[in-house]
Parts: sequence; C-alpha cells; structure tokens
Amino acid sequence: MSLTLEEAKVRNKELIDEVLGAYPEKAGKRRAKHLNIHEEGKSDCGVKSNIKSLPGVMTIRGCAYAGSKGVVWGPIKDMIHISHGPVGCGQYSWATRRNYYIGTTGIDTFGTMQFTSDFQEKDIVFGGDKKLEKLLDEVEALFPLNKGISIQSECPIGLIGDDIEAVSKKKSKELGGKTIVPVRCEGFRGVSQSLGHHIANDMIRDWVFDKTDPAKNAFEPSPYDVAIIGDYNIGGDAWSSRILLEEMGLRVIAQWSGDGTIAEIENTPKAKLNVLHCYRSMNYISRHMEEKYGIPWVEYNFFGPSKIEASLREIASHFDDKIKEGAERVIAKYKPMVEAVIERFKPRLEGKKVMLYVGGLRPRHVIGAYEDLGMEVVGTGYEFAHNDDYQRTTDYIKDSTLVYDDVTGYEFEKFVEKIQPDLVGSGIKEKYIFQKMGVPFRQMHSWDYSGPYHGYDGFAVFARDMDMAINSPVWGLTRAPWLK
Amino acid sequence: MSTPLRQIAFYGKGGIGKSTTSQNTLAALAEMGQKILIVGCDPKADSTRLILHAKAQDTVLSLAAEAGSVEDLELEDVMKVGYRDIRCVESGGPEPGVGCAGRGVITSINFLEENGAYDGVDYVSYDVLGDVVCGGFAMPIRENKAQEIYIVMSGEMMAMYAANNISKGILKYANSGGVRLGGLVCNERQTDKELELAEALAKKLGTQLIHFVPRDNIVQHAELRRMTVLEYDPRSKQADEYRQLAKKIHANAGKGVIPTPITMEELEDLLMEFGIMKKEDESIIGKAAVAA
Amino acid sequence: MSQHAETLIDHEMLFRKPEYTDMFENKQKNFEYKHPRDRIIEIQEWTKTREYQEKNFAREALTVNPAKACQPLGAVFAAVGFRNTLPFVHGSQGCVAYYRSHFSRHFKEPTSCVSSSMTEDAAVFGGLNNMIDGLANAYALYKPEMIAVSTTCMAEVIGDDLDGFIKNAKMKGSVPQDFDVPFAHTPAFVGSHITGYDNALRGIIQHFWEKCDARTPVPGKINFIGGFYGFTTGNLREVKRLLGIMGADYTILGDTSDIWDTPTDGEYRMYDGGTTKEEVRGAYHAEATISFQQFCTEKTLKYIESKGQEVVALNHPVGVTGTDQFLMEVSRLTGKAIPEQLLKERGRLVDAIADSQAMLHGKKFALYGDPDLMLGLTAFLLELGAEPTTVLSTNGDDSWAAKVQALFDASPFGKNCKVYPKKDMWHLRSLLFTEPVDYLIGNTHGKYLERDCGVPLIRLGFPIFDRHHYHRFPIWGYEGGLRVLVMILDEMFERLDQSTIITAKTDISYDIVR
Repeated sequence: MSLTLEEAKVRNKELIDEVLGAYPEKAGKRRAKHLNIHEEGKSDCGVKSNIKSLPGVMTIRGCAYAGSKGVVWGPIKDMIHISHGPVGCGQYSWATRRNYYIGTTGIDTFGTMQFTSDFQEKDIVFGGDKKLEKLLDEVEALFPLNKGISIQSECPIGLIGDDIEAVSKKKSKELGGKTIVPVRCEGFRGVSQSLGHHIANDMIRDWVFDKTDPAKNAFEPSPYDVAIIGDYNIGGDAWSSRILLEEMGLRVIAQWSGDGTIAEIENTPKAKLNVLHCYRSMNYISRHMEEKYGIPWVEYNFFGPSKIEASLREIASHFDDKIKEGAERVIAKYKPMVEAVIERFKPRLEGKKVMLYVGGLRPRHVIGAYEDLGMEVVGTGYEFAHNDDYQRTTDYIKDSTLVYDDVTGYEFEKFVEKIQPDLVGSGIKEKYIFQKMGVPFRQMHSWDYSGPYHGYDGFAVFARDMDMAINSPVWGLTRAPWLK
Repeated sequence: MSTPLRQIAFYGKGGIGKSTTSQNTLAALAEMGQKILIVGCDPKADSTRLILHAKAQDTVLSLAAEAGSVEDLELEDVMKVGYRDIRCVESGGPEPGVGCAGRGVITSINFLEENGAYDGVDYVSYDVLGDVVCGGFAMPIRENKAQEIYIVMSGEMMAMYAANNISKGILKYANSGGVRLGGLVCNERQTDKELELAEALAKKLGTQLIHFVPRDNIVQHAELRRMTVLEYDPRSKQADEYRQLAKKIHANAGKGVIPTPITMEELEDLLMEFGIMKKEDESIIGKAAVAA
Repeated sequence: MSQHAETLIDHEMLFRKPEYTDMFENKQKNFEYKHPRDRIIEIQEWTKTREYQEKNFAREALTVNPAKACQPLGAVFAAVGFRNTLPFVHGSQGCVAYYRSHFSRHFKEPTSCVSSSMTEDAAVFGGLNNMIDGLANAYALYKPEMIAVSTTCMAEVIGDDLDGFIKNAKMKGSVPQDFDVPFAHTPAFVGSHITGYDNALRGIIQHFWEKCDARTPVPGKINFIGGFYGFTTGNLREVKRLLGIMGADYTILGDTSDIWDTPTDGEYRMYDGGTTKEEVRGAYHAEATISFQQFCTEKTLKYIESKGQEVVALNHPVGVTGTDQFLMEVSRLTGKAIPEQLLKERGRLVDAIADSQAMLHGKKFALYGDPDLMLGLTAFLLELGAEPTTVLSTNGDDSWAAKVQALFDASPFGKNCKVYPKKDMWHLRSLLFTEPVDYLIGNTHGKYLERDCGVPLIRLGFPIFDRHHYHRFPIWGYEGGLRVLVMILDEMFERLDQSTIITAKTDISYDIVR
C-alpha cells in the first residue's frame, strides 16, 4: 500500500522519534541533527554532516587511511603503496575494492598486492623511520619497474612522531628524484574516510604536481583533452565511461585513479577540462587545478540513461560543435539498446521502493538510474558527506524522503524494518542483516562483485542486477509454509 | 602467609635527584631485610646504576629490539642482581625525539609481570621519568601496579609545579584503582624556607612531607663511585637520613591518600607567599623593550 | 556496441570486446608510459630465478602479501563466541569497519561490533570519554548481556588503561556496576589475529573465574576451545556431535558455531548461540581443558593451568591420526570409552583414503597459513602419502617450525620437506618457482600465486572470499577429514580433466573412469 506524501512524512517523523528514543539523552540529542525528512524546495537536506561519530553506536564509517589508501591512492596501478604501520589495515583493504586494471601484477603493476612495514612493538618504541628507509631500498631492489611509492600512514605513525617526510625526501634524492609520497592519513584523523580523501588530494598536489618536471612524459596536446577525475574503476566503471567520452570525440588523457598511472596523474595539468564523477573524494584537486592551471571542471553523472544523456551534453557544452555533435551521436547510438533494457526490466521493477546508504556520490547519483527503471528512492544517506553533498542531493530527492547522515546500525535496521522497502542498497556490513530480514539487497560500493554500473553498458548490468535481487525466488522461501 | 607485595613508585621532575634518593632509600630497605626489585622506567636507564655499580644496565627494550621482540627474551637476560641482592631491571627506550618511550614502559612492565619477575619480592619500586606525560608513563600507577607514589621534590618552583602535576595524574587513576599518594620527599636544594614550603605544599595536596633529606656532599662522593651512601659509608649521617626515610615508607603501608592537586593560581599564590615568586606587574605584560 | 538487452554480459566478457580492448591498447600506448614489453618480460622471468629468491629472502623491513591479520580481529572472533555478547573495540573506528567487512566477506554473514570512535582529540587527551559514552550507547542500543572490550593500536600507543576506564565508565553509570565488561589489551603491533584471540579469550575467562569461589573439580568434565579458524561453524558443530557421541560432560569456551550461519527467515539475529556466562563459570570446575589450537591459546591455557586444570594443547588435528589423538584424549579425560559409532566413522575415512591413495601418493604440496592449521594439514598430508614440501607461516615462529620439522622427521614422506617460519606469500612465490609443487593449500589470496605460478589452489585457510559456504562444513573429525580429502581429490581430478580436454590432441586420457 502506497502512502501519500503527507502520510509518509508523518510516518518518517514518528520513525525518527522512535529511534532517537532508544539512545541515552546526550547521544539522542546529537543524533537528532543527522536525521530529517526532506522538504521540497529546501536548499539542503536539513541534516548536519561531517561530524564525529558517536562512540559505541556501530557507525558504518571507516577512517582516513581507508579514504587515502583504499580510495584515492590504492588504484594508481604502477606505484607501490605501502601500508605503513601494523599489518591489519593493509590486510583488510587488500584488493577488496575491485579497482580493475590491466598490467602484470608484481612486475609493472601492483594494485592487488599488500605491501606493509608490519610494525612490531620495537618499531613503535624506537620509531619506524630507519625501517622505512630500509624498506624503500628493498622495494627498489625487488620491484625495479615501480614508477613511484606512496607511504600510507596508519594510526601509530602520527602518534610516535615519525618523520616520514624527511625519509621520503632523502630517499627520493638518493633514487634520482623518484616519486615518493608521504601521506599522513592516520586513521584517527578527521571523522571518516573524507579527510583521507582530502589529505590524499593535497599530497598529489604537493608531492606529484609540484615536483614533476613539466617536460616529463611529453605528448602532443589536443584541444579535446580531458581527464576523468573521481572514478575508481570498480568493476570497470571508468572504462564504460571512458568509451563514451572517446566516442564523442574527446581524448581522455588520464583516469583518476582507477586503472590510472602516475604518468597520467602527472600529465593531467595539460587537460582542457576535468570531468569529475566522485565530487566528494576529488573536488579538492579539481579546484586546485582550476586555480593553478586554469583547468575548468565539470561534475557529471553516468548512472542511468537520463543522467548520462544530460551529462554528455553538459560536458560537450565546454567544447566546439564537433564534440556537441559527437555527444548527440553517442546518445542516439545507445538509445535502442537502453530502451530495450528498460523495456525488459522496467515492468519487473516499476514502483519498487529503494533505500540507500552509501558513501561518496552514490546516495544521490544513482537515484536517476533507479527512476529510469520506474523505481523510487524513499530514503538515502551518506557515510561521510559534507554539507555541499546534501545541497547537491536536493536536486535528486523527492519531498518526504527520509535522510540519514552517518546512520548507525540500530537506526538503519529500524528504518528498514518499518519502511519495508523492496530493495536496500548499501555495503558489505549491512548486506546480510537485511537479507536475513527478507529484504532484497545490493551492495552499492562494490556492485556486489558485479559491474560496471557506469555508462550505457553499465546501466544494462545495473538494471539486470536490481531485477535479480528484487525478483529472486528466494524471498518467497523465507517463511516455512506450515507457519501461519 | 607472606606479607603482600608492596609496589611503590618514585616520580619527580628531571634532575631532582629522584634516582639517587630512590636507590639510597631502597638500599636502606634492603638493609632492613626487605627483598627489592627496582624497575627503572626512564629511557636514560640510570635508576639502578648505584645498586649495580654499573654505568648503564642492558635494558628490556634494547635487548628486545636486538632479539626481535620481547617474546624472545628470558627474565634472566634483563634482570641483574646488585647490592644486598636487590634485583634490577631497566625498561629503557628510544633516543630522544623518536618513537614512543611511554609505550616502552607498558611493554616492559607487561613482560616483567608475565615472566614472574615479581615473585618472591617484598617491594617493587618503579622509578619514573619526570612527569605523567602520557598513558605510558602512567602505567606504573594503574591498578595492580604501584599503590603508593612518592614524589621527590625540592623548594624550587619547577619541582613544585611537577609535584602538583604528578598529583593530578594520580588523582585520575585513584578513583578507579587503588593508587595513592604516599607523600612528598624533599631533596634539599637549600632554597629559602624550603622545609616550610615543602610542608605547606604537602598540606595543600592533602598529604605529608614524609621526609626532608638534607643536602650532603657525601652523596656526590658515593655517586662518583657508583654507590649508594648506604654502601659507601654506612656509618655516615646521610646514610641514617635514608634509613629514616626507608623506615617511614615501610611504616606508611596503606596510609596513602587521594591527593588534592591545586590550581595553577593557588600554586602561584603559595609560591608568592613564600617569596619564591614575585607578584606580576600587570603594567609591563606584553610590552616590548622599545615601548617600555 | 557491447551490450544487448537480451544477452547481457558481465565484466568477465564485456571487457574482452574489441571496442574495449582497442581502447585499452590506445590508453596504454599514448598515456601510461609503460615500460617496454621486453623489459617487463625480462623482469617477470627474473623474479622466477634463484638469484631473485636470494634477494627476496634477504628482506628485513618490507612485508609483501602476508598471511596474517592483526590482534583485534581475533579478539572480535573470540567475543562473538559468548551468548549475547557485543565486541567493543577501543580506538579508531575505521578498524572496526575493517573487521566487520573482513568477516562478512568470508562468512557471507553480518558481524556486529562497535568502536569507541577515537579521533585526534582522544589521541591527545586519552580515550576515557569515548569509553564512557561508548559503553553507554552500545548498552542502550544493542542490549547485550556482556560487552567484551579490546583495543586498536591507536589506544595502545597512547597507553589507554582499559581496566581503569571501564571502572570509571561504570562509576559514571554507562552500564550497571554488575554488568560484565571483560577486556583485553590487543596491540596490533604484537603477534597476529591468533594472539588477539588468545588475549581476548583469556580476558573473558579470567573475568568470570576470578570471581568464582574455590574450585570443586567435577570428575570427567572437560572444556573445549576451538581457536580462531574460518571454518568454525561446521567444525564446532562437528566437535559437539563427537563429544555428544562420546557422552562427555563438556563446555565449549567461545562457541562460534551458531553466529555465522543464522537463518534467513525474516528475522535478523544480532546474537545467536554462544557460551553462556553460567557455562563459563561452570567451566572453572572442569577437570581439564582441551585446546584444538595451541598457538591460538598459549596464554589462555597457561591461565587455566594456573587454576589447577589439566590442559591438553593440540595442533588443529585433521585426518585419522589427529582425530584418533583427540578422541583418545577425550576418552582419557572423561573416562568414557570411544563408542562403536566413531570406530565406524574412522573406518570409513580410512576406507576412503585407501580407495584414493594412488592419486595422492608422492604429490607435492605447498601450504601456508596459521601455525596450528599448518601442523594439522601437514600431518594429514603425510598420512595420505603426499609430500608437504613447503610449509610456510607468517605468524608461526621458530618453536612452531620445530614442531613442523618433527612431523617431517617422523615420516618417510617428510624427507624433502621444508618449513618456513615468519615468511610471507611473496617469499612463497619465489619458492613455488624454485621448488615447484603440484598443489597449493591456503586462503583466497593464494589465487594470485595460482595465477603467477600455475599451481592449483585448494582453499582451506582464512579468509576465503571467493568461494561460498565452506565455513558451514567441518574439516575436523573423521567426517571433516573426508571433506578435506574430497576437496583435494576434486581439485586433482579437475586438473587432470582440464589437461586432457583438447579434442584429438590430449583427450586420449580424458577418461570416464578414474
């Protein structure tokens, strides 16, 4: 039974009050600021964001290291990324994000490997700088084709006062100016992955851009050079995006950072336009390139045909007619395939309600794709958004949508239990909870090991996956027939 | 049934004569027939030199770093026996400016406990660097560690600041655990009205001045020979001072208090009262030489 | 155009389409500034040499592809083995997100755990307030009967004192005074996940036993500890079945058999199964404790022994001899004879081995993983007449290596076998080139070695992310041994079929009877 907008607002208000009632008073007051019901016409979602998580509530968030090593740096495939500190961080984040790349792993590419200084007690007590120096020599000896090294700090590094910058400078000099980047992304910094993104961006600025000889990797520029910023190529997303940009006549000179190389990063200041997908994790470097090199940037959204179409035109608007025509050509080319996909899946998905809770850009960006399939997003929230994300979200969500920032395990469970959506899209930690409740689920960080979901080719996979999840016969089996 | 293990700790500002005072006092306790274990918790590792007649003992952490980890060490590798069978261990730590000395203290104490270093001793004494600067240096005052803290101080301003700060550290752990302030030990520096000032501070902190150790050059003579006064010249007057202190500490079991540290202002008032600090002339604050 | 609505393709096939492969080539050629093909091949070949191996084994500072995780992961594993217990990790919050994800990727199940979410201010001022608020919030929201606290390396470096903090939190009313909050310091820079399991388990047992009155041993009563292992669900159920058949009076300390395969029936069970507090208290009065994994329980066993119990430390027994040893110990400690039924089960496993031994005889294996698992599998392989020529562990030390060597020395099949303590999977990569084997046994990460070295991987370690449901089946007991045997055989037969499948070329040996 479908609720009217007003009924939904009342229900959501009751729901928020109910979950807040479960907290101790102080915590309830704090959480109240992160939960809201969207009112049509408001300029943001009315929630506070980018604030410390409460202790003990089972936040879904990660840390700055996850934002730097796991998101921004990790996918740069021809560099070696050292998880500097104890063994765990690198172990848990080892190859789990499926940032696809092409290369000979262990020889000229290193994406799905776990390099760590595996800190021991003595390294904590006596400091780890000498170990780091030796480690860098060993990396050079055993992996001679690496194009650079990043040092991703884990918590202890910042606490014991190691000087990784000095080590990096010294070793870089010894190794003939090799790119060695110290990243201060200790997990206790900031409140979520977000600060890790920012720090990682800043380190690219300071230790890559500012140290690269502009003549390095020289190539013939073209008026149509663009860089894809903020696509981590999960399940091949950046590729199914790149193909569209190239088909419309643009030349993609760099991918940040999925399937990316250090040469591409170094060459990006030569781009004519930066096209930014994940605003949250890479707006910093985009703004920097705008200020320093005068490169404009444009946000785009490659989830679902409606948004893809609009984005292709938006990107084309920064170029001449040749590209504008190219955009139209691409749109027309894929139209029949997309229509056939919608024709096949929309009847099976029409009217289905979705609740999302993801990171980066997806809590808003994927809404259009669901709508293309006739589905409706009734609740959404971000792990580590800032207010500018919630502002941007208002362009996507409808009146009465339940918005939850840094949702806790308890809240999310209660919300889903009461709202009973047809699908929940969130992460690995949430997946099995909801499936056990009998609610279909798709992981919207990793695409549940499927993908790509970006671009037209990706949309076809997306549509099929949502159908698969919602219409699986298993949901009819959850209750034994002899039970009333 | 044997008497329960007494765990005490000496804290105090650097350079106050903490290690000298503690070693002499512990030597006196040993003379009284007490079995003693000293755990030096200062990275410069000089808490046992007078007992061992040694320059510096191999530390737990340096040996562990050599062997790979503390798990690779045996108790006998790190524990040395000195004057009157006093057992000595130095925790050790990094060079100044690197690593985490506090973590080193935690590592060492855990190792000693797990390997039975405390078996069969009457006293464990921790000699701790300067101040309770972080969680690691608070390790000796946590529950099941030192029950009584003795703060070595003098009539100098910084020593009194430090004593008050250490009291704050003790207070933090006193409510949840059993740590108490045993008292102040004033190591005479021959400042003005030193005894009175020390007594006044002790009162403010809710504790006692357990002993006033007068200055005597014999301490330096003994130290040149890397000996305690007790051993160098047992019949000296100074040796008796330490014996008195030892007796008082021995009789002080269970008499420690939860300290009542005072605010910076109260401390400054106290110092001004005794003329150690001059009242500030508000009119000159923030004025550069030219303007003045 | 690569996609069609009716014949949708996944990433596996999509990126083999010429539109994409052309694009990849173009990207490489124009923008990646890749090393020349010859150079890459040269280095690739060089990494297979003895010269490279020497350099590789000379590493002192760098660890590449280790087969171990950090302490708090093990602490969380231990905690969820107790009834209605919420693991609480004091320190940075990202760690807890990682532990939960790690377990969920392996078990395909949720794992509940909270963090005290310490940030930069807590790094400076200590995490006491995080503990106070964290316990209060966790208690109010998740209604546990017990909260088991452990630590991340952040809290350990700044020296937070769990005992004092928990007492302070209770004084502030975060949880009732008598609410059970056992704790363990679990620094990530000491040992590995098995150390954390040990510390946390000891912490929980100690918490209850220190409050018990005098011990009154119950004749024949035993405790059982399984240790950290990815197949815990199936294994512990099998152990319970075996102990049931034996008629033993037993308690499983840390019973993780029900938490990682809860049903999908419309209700989410945040807690399920687990050892109750009463059972933990009762366990104090047992006569003996059997640990299935010595290296997971060193401190725990030491503590239990200090309370006057006999402790029996096994090394993850797998197969006939291992299970024999386990059952004989149970029989000795409980005074109960091993029933006919188990004798029959034993006979069936021996029967199966006899049927298949020709497949296994002299086959070379490399295996890596946690120390006890390595000992158990080494013993089983030797029993099968196979040769575990390379046995490696990242978190196994020299004392472990000596035990593995003793197994080699006791069998004629162990003659050419070598053990490698404190080594990682990049060391193993060199070894697989210089000392080739027929099969590799390990965890999911071993698939990179399967790719690089062409050695088929049998997944018996932890974690296993890329196969489903293995954890629901036992590899312990005679029936578990049978499962390991079949897993190995399946891989062998599959390999044989794959290598004989080409029509008119290799299919001479593509036999229907094997």
